[in-house]
Amino acid sequence: MTGGTIKRKTPGTGWFSRDWRLYLMLLLPVAFYLIFCYKPMIGVIIAFQKFNMFKGMWGSKWIGLDNFKFVMSMPDFPVALKNTLWLNFLGLIAGFPVPIILAILLNELRCIPFKKVSQTLLYLPHFLSWIIIGGMVLQIFSPKTGVINATLLKWGWIDKSIPFLTDGSHWQGTYTFIGVWQSMGWGTILYLSAITGINMELFEAAKIDGANKLQQIWHVTLPGIRSTIVVLLILNVGQMMNISFDRPYVLGNPMVQNYCDVLSTFVYRAGITNSQFARATAIGLFQSVVGLILITGANLITKKLGEEGIW
Amino acid sequence: MKKTLAILISLALLLGIAGPAFAEGEDWITLRVETYDREIAGLDVTNCWQLKYAQEHFGDPNHIKLEFVSYARWTEGDLLTTALAGGTAPDICLTYNGGLVQQCIDDEGIWQLDDLLNTYGPNLKAFLGEELLTYGQSDHDGDGTVEQWYLPARRISRANVGNFIREDWLKALNMEKPTNIEEFTAYLRAAKEAQLAGENTTPVSFGIYAPDPMYNVRRWTDAWVDFSQVTKEDWFAYARNPEMLPGAKEGFRWLNTLYHEGIIPETFALTDNDQANDTALIMGYNGFFSQQPDQPWRTDKNYEIELEKNVEGGHWVTVNPFKNESLNKTLHDMYAPAGLSIIIPLTTSEDVAIAAMKYMDWMAIPENMFAMQNGIEGINYEGLTEDGIPYGVKSADAVPDENKMHAGDICFISNGLCYGDDAKNAAALALPFAGYEEDVKASYADSLTDAWTQISFPVSIQSETDYGAAVKSAQGKFLADVVSCDADKFDEVFDAGIQDILNSGAAQMIEEFRAAFQAGNYRGVFPGDL
Repeated sequence: MTGGTIKRKTPGTGWFSRDWRLYLMLLLPVAFYLIFCYKPMIGVIIAFQKFNMFKGMWGSKWIGLDNFKFVMSMPDFPVALKNTLWLNFLGLIAGFPVPIILAILLNELRCIPFKKVSQTLLYLPHFLSWIIIGGMVLQIFSPKTGVINATLLKWGWIDKSIPFLTDGSHWQGTYTFIGVWQSMGWGTILYLSAITGINMELFEAAKIDGANKLQQIWHVTLPGIRSTIVVLLILNVGQMMNISFDRPYVLGNPMVQNYCDVLSTFVYRAGITNSQFARATAIGLFQSVVGLILITGANLITKKLGEEGIW
Repeated sequence: MKKTLAILISLALLLGIAGPAFAEGEDWITLRVETYDREIAGLDVTNCWQLKYAQEHFGDPNHIKLEFVSYARWTEGDLLTTALAGGTAPDICLTYNGGLVQQCIDDEGIWQLDDLLNTYGPNLKAFLGEELLTYGQSDHDGDGTVEQWYLPARRISRANVGNFIREDWLKALNMEKPTNIEEFTAYLRAAKEAQLAGENTTPVSFGIYAPDPMYNVRRWTDAWVDFSQVTKEDWFAYARNPEMLPGAKEGFRWLNTLYHEGIIPETFALTDNDQANDTALIMGYNGFFSQQPDQPWRTDKNYEIELEKNVEGGHWVTVNPFKNESLNKTLHDMYAPAGLSIIIPLTTSEDVAIAAMKYMDWMAIPENMFAMQNGIEGINYEGLTEDGIPYGVKSADAVPDENKMHAGDICFISNGLCYGDDAKNAAALALPFAGYEEDVKASYADSLTDAWTQISFPVSIQSETDYGAAVKSAQGKFLADVVSCDADKFDEVFDAGIQDILNSGAAQMIEEFRAAFQAGNYRGVFPGDL
């Protein structure tokens, strides 16, 4: 470099040559989304076709909205739609506050080893497959032979099994409870990190002003994580129409059919089992459109209320 | 230097993904054959003894490279559907999913097999036989003549039902084997009363089979059907709705009564409860169960041996109590002579389709079939009986990995071991179950008593494609409801349930089945004709 002039790239023109490594790294996730998320979206066109699996989506016949009409006219559809919304609503009411409370409790723990062990134990159910949880649920909640019923019957506290899994409303309670148990630990992660981000000086100032623990939580911690809570709430509302397949499928049974049949199990039955892919796609598209409306609505309302929203 | 290295490495990775595409010699072709994988430890179905045998004796002389493509047995339908839609299906495709085959015919994605079979498959044609081949024929183009769309495998044993009772319980109760519903009910009640397995006594083993709830239950409830009120046309119209046959209602009422008496497990409607049901069977809590005719002795779930371990003197024997009084027959349903369906997708070129037919034709020659089904004397079995049937057949874990095989899946043109004639085949069924031969024989004999062939339709039934799954789901709910409802509400619940099933699409199915029957498009047997 002796004697040479130092070339300085002006910001704005040299952004690429300066940061090309970062862009190169970005290429991978962008390619991932393009290939696995955007390209398959073209496939929704089969919702409007009489799909012939050998001719593919470019060669099949167009039939307008017939798939939608057919699926929505099936007697199971309104039941599945109602159950999807109701179970998700129950899950939201019961499940949304739990991780917040839990995160605050964990945050207040002072004994680090105890905190670590509790966190790990709380996360654990999130990593269990629903098939395994389904087996555990049978062992615990079965009529007569399940641990709870067998114990209560033996002690003479009840003389008839509690129908946790065989009566509609009991089943919905069991379903919600298990969902909360499974996901509450995992849900604390975001809140815990949000709490860590709160300025410690605020707590100290509160202490000096004479605030006790509960007052600190109420006036410092909760307002500090409010934006996180709002964002997660909006995202959750956007998911109201979506319901996982494995959880209701594994936990459900014919005895509570009218309470456990949801859109995903309905799609499986009306679409996948008989290779009626076009119909399955039609329901999927319907779910997505409603989900989009819900999430946009929720976002709009939050913005009106003066919060930040997600976009 | 580093950059060059990085580029070289990325190039190598990219090429690695593309994979080595090597060409066979010019006159060689590759034949890809679907093979079920049952995850038998040590058996690699894509490189098994049977493949090597077929390659040596069929492939090499004909310049055909055989390749077995493995599909998991229990999800084969989904896997094959995906492969067919993606154009990557094997050249010989096998499936038990009749709906998928019908869809392939409707969507015109498979070879029409008449010419191939007539030209290249004389042995195969003789092995399957004219009558069986009609199962794979239908008139798709509507020109009045049928075409061969798929090849049905030949089912060697058609017995489907096995009903079993505890011989030790009969002795303890000092009762004879029941021969009708009345005696059978008396046995169940006496067993419950006597608490033969303590407070766990649940005389009937029963769980709803969610994918097709009526499939097993009709074995019992058909006994109540009043055949004086059922025409042959009705029988076929209600093919998937046995709960609607006149008289069947009383059969469901019987189940309801048993439920309230604690004879049927309270957990019968819980899905995925098989393990608990199995445990109850081998712990000796049950006094009756209904499954396949060789079920108690099967190696994977040996209820007999496990029971003997847990209960002294415990012993399962066949029983035949479901006597239909209106016919005076103990009805049993029986498989159609057609087993799995064999198709050749249109993505397969003509040369390869010919090779596929030649391969199946080779397999149909008796000595080839014997080798492909039984393996090697001294390794897979001890020796041959006078009739030429292998005895001392070794279980998979007693055979070295390189000799492990699965007879049925790989020699797919025959569903079951075939030794030439029916008598030999029947004798061979009991042979693997050393010590229980007589029990097994008796069970098969009961199973084939008054047996009617299951119903199928050689035409596309659109309403079944549309509503079949919804109807089954409604039937599951119906069954759960009518068995567990209060006895005084039974009639109400039953009628409402039937209405639900009709609304979920059964009404359309019944109508379409009836039309198919009237047009002569039906297969199976009406019990009234037995």
